[in-house]
Amino acid sequence: MKKTSMLFALLVALSLVLAACGAGGSGAPAIEDEFTALAEFEGLKLDAGSCDYGGKVLSIEAVDELTVVFTLCKPDPAFEAKIAFTPFGIQPQEHLARTGGSGELLENPIGTGPYMVAEWDRGNQIVYTRFNDYWGEAGAASTVTLRWLTEGAARLQELQAGTADYVSNLSPSDYATVQNDPNLQILYHQNPNVFYIGFTNTAEPYDNVDVRRAIALGIDYQRIVDNFYPDGSEVASHFTPCGIPNGCEGESWYTFDAAAGRALLAEAGYPDGFTTRLYYRDVFRVYLPEPARVATEIQAQLQENLGITVEVVPMESGEFIDASTSGNLTDGMHLLGWGADYPHVTNFMDFHFAANNPQFGNAHAEIYGPLQQASSVADVSAAAPLYAAANNAVKELVPLIPVAHGAAAHAAQASLQGAYYPPFGAPQFNFLDNGTDSIVFVQNAEPISLDCADETDGESLTACQQVVETLLEYGKDSGATFPELATSCDANADSTVWTCHLRAGVKFHDGSALDADDVVASWSRGLNAASPYHVGNTGSFDYYGYLWDSFMNVP
Amino acid sequence: MTTNVETVIAPVEPQRSRSLAALTWRRLFKQRNAVVGMIILAFLTLVAVFAPWIAPYDPVQSLLGVETLKEREAPCIHLLGCPEDKPEHLMGIDANYRDVYSRIIYGTRVSLFIGFSTIGMAVVVGAVIGALSGYAGGWVDNLIMRLMDVVLAFPSFLLAIAIITVIGRGLQNALYAIAIVNIPVFARLVRASVLSIKEQEFVSASRALGANWLRLLFVRIFPNALPTLVVQATLSIAAAILEAAALSFLGLGAQPPTPEWGTMLGSERNQVFTAPHLVFFPGLAIMITVLAFNLLGDGVRDAMDPRLAQVAKK
Repeated sequence: MKKTSMLFALLVALSLVLAACGAGGSGAPAIEDEFTALAEFEGLKLDAGSCDYGGKVLSIEAVDELTVVFTLCKPDPAFEAKIAFTPFGIQPQEHLARTGGSGELLENPIGTGPYMVAEWDRGNQIVYTRFNDYWGEAGAASTVTLRWLTEGAARLQELQAGTADYVSNLSPSDYATVQNDPNLQILYHQNPNVFYIGFTNTAEPYDNVDVRRAIALGIDYQRIVDNFYPDGSEVASHFTPCGIPNGCEGESWYTFDAAAGRALLAEAGYPDGFTTRLYYRDVFRVYLPEPARVATEIQAQLQENLGITVEVVPMESGEFIDASTSGNLTDGMHLLGWGADYPHVTNFMDFHFAANNPQFGNAHAEIYGPLQQASSVADVSAAAPLYAAANNAVKELVPLIPVAHGAAAHAAQASLQGAYYPPFGAPQFNFLDNGTDSIVFVQNAEPISLDCADETDGESLTACQQVVETLLEYGKDSGATFPELATSCDANADSTVWTCHLRAGVKFHDGSALDADDVVASWSRGLNAASPYHVGNTGSFDYYGYLWDSFMNVP
Repeated sequence: MTTNVETVIAPVEPQRSRSLAALTWRRLFKQRNAVVGMIILAFLTLVAVFAPWIAPYDPVQSLLGVETLKEREAPCIHLLGCPEDKPEHLMGIDANYRDVYSRIIYGTRVSLFIGFSTIGMAVVVGAVIGALSGYAGGWVDNLIMRLMDVVLAFPSFLLAIAIITVIGRGLQNALYAIAIVNIPVFARLVRASVLSIKEQEFVSASRALGANWLRLLFVRIFPNALPTLVVQATLSIAAAILEAAALSFLGLGAQPPTPEWGTMLGSERNQVFTAPHLVFFPGLAIMITVLAFNLLGDGVRDAMDPRLAQVAKK
């Protein structure tokens, strides 16, 4: 037996030698070329030089064709959860170079995803075609059409009429209809979220913290949740939902007390209230399922409870997001919310209360100070006191008023196989199968652009997610991360150096192969303010700035 | 053979001198449609004036916490079998838990105000522009009328939307927008009347007697152009109410919580199958009001110009 094994090993070795020699003029140079190529690979490197710029990322380096090393200035407990988020998707370096700054990226992303953008008929629909060289599970349908209807009832009618396979964001009043229809299926959505009323504290009367506190006291939160939200929704006790570790550290939010609110408003110099505006966008969100109704209810409550006369002002979605997040709605309050992108408290707190976020006017060191400290602490219990301090400061300074955590559901044809809605991100169209060659997915608003490195709205991210992929991805039923373009991302002992190993053989829609330079180039575009390609829809690249604390090379 | 023909002369009744206005009223009351229109309008006016006494609830008050209600609850009328222990809501409850009947009642005020104020503005401005244009003639007339042509070249509703886009949404701005798009109609109408009247002998006589141009225009000529203006204004009120409702429906006119019928219709347009009362009653209110003004407008036109009525009947 031993002799047989030795003989077998000898034969294998001999055949390998023969194979190498037998390749003669063709085989040997191929091996040489490969070594030459590896030796010649000069990976891109994005290097901040030092951590003095205030951001979290020190450098990102392509050390070989399939290895990227992220070096952080401090440990980031949410690193893996963050890099799985759609805005950090990877596009070919050459495509970015060719289109960067031209605006073509807004409608023409090239990724590695299961579907490619065939056509965007603005105002009407986006048509995707299947990417046949996709590395993963190919889509069942060769064509997917993404459409949008702002009204929940209209979306449901499409589903009932059979002209849509899947509609997102059911109106609460339609839950029963879907549940009672044997041709339809309801898909519950467990994404943590928060609906809030925001202030910009740079103008009267919202520069007065007592005014903000008075409004926080003068709103009957329970009445809003009970009457304008679907079952399963709850009044927000903290800005971050309690399901997220450290989300609910610190004191609970104010309870409704109209008399105390009126007294505080009088102390602030407004005994008879004042006149203001309430801005919102009339777009369904899980955190705000019926914006117009809730806006009208808040308008009524502020008049009744505090004597504040409110004009409600609906705005176009993109315009509203731009104006509110840049802190330009100074003459009123705004209704906005947040759905979790990744399962970590930093996604709620750090994004909204960062020192460089202009949305609420002047940032408060009492809030962002503890948050900055906490963002370097990987241990959940060690970070708890810091999040308690931040939450208490939010309550004290009231840059916003958390109102509710909404529950949501979506609907699909009962015959649609694989229908799901993940807690984080959007459903991948390649997992849906209606038995035909074409699928129609209807969401509640048109994407603003398909350059998702520079977008924050869910509709854009859903559209991008089919095309552009990230290093890691979220699970179908949890916020856990799984390999996508990277087979793994390994941390050093103190979680400051993350080495991501890319999947081999992955192709972009333009036929080029994925390599580490594409990763560095894609990240550089978002993170490096001096990059000539740091140009997008608005150029704000919000998630890069907020989730990694700052841009590199800000002029 | 001769025949004695006795001529019987009947006693002549003394002729009462009737003014044009009295004649018009007399003719108007003979028009059945106009009478119906007037009755409806009188009713609507009473409703608008006495809204606080007629409406059982504050139109903007949420009844949450006041009564036990469901959102968008169907009408509850005790006479039609709704349990006596439930509060009566003749037209149901809206999405924000407000009494629809009270909102419809108060909406009458808003709609009538819209109709009269917009057309009032358009008539005043349009008539002055038209009169000056027609009387002055020459380059003034040319300039003003080309300007009016430009305004008329746009579909009026589209122009109203464009104006609102510039000056901002809201009921007040919607009123300005509707008034502006209606100005050219009245300007052209008055100009045409002035052009024909200013050449008549009584105007020349006044001029010969030394009347200045202001007196000629506004005392001699303008009153004679009034009948056509009144007819057009009456018909335009209906259109103005419809335009305002359409703008509000699109979210450009009256803003919540103003009880405006177009806004009410627009905010619940998707509930046509699930809560039809929320679109039926505002729609019905708009229809009745517009119908009333149209009936009255047709009647006024026929009464002021019987020839037109005869042509219409043929």
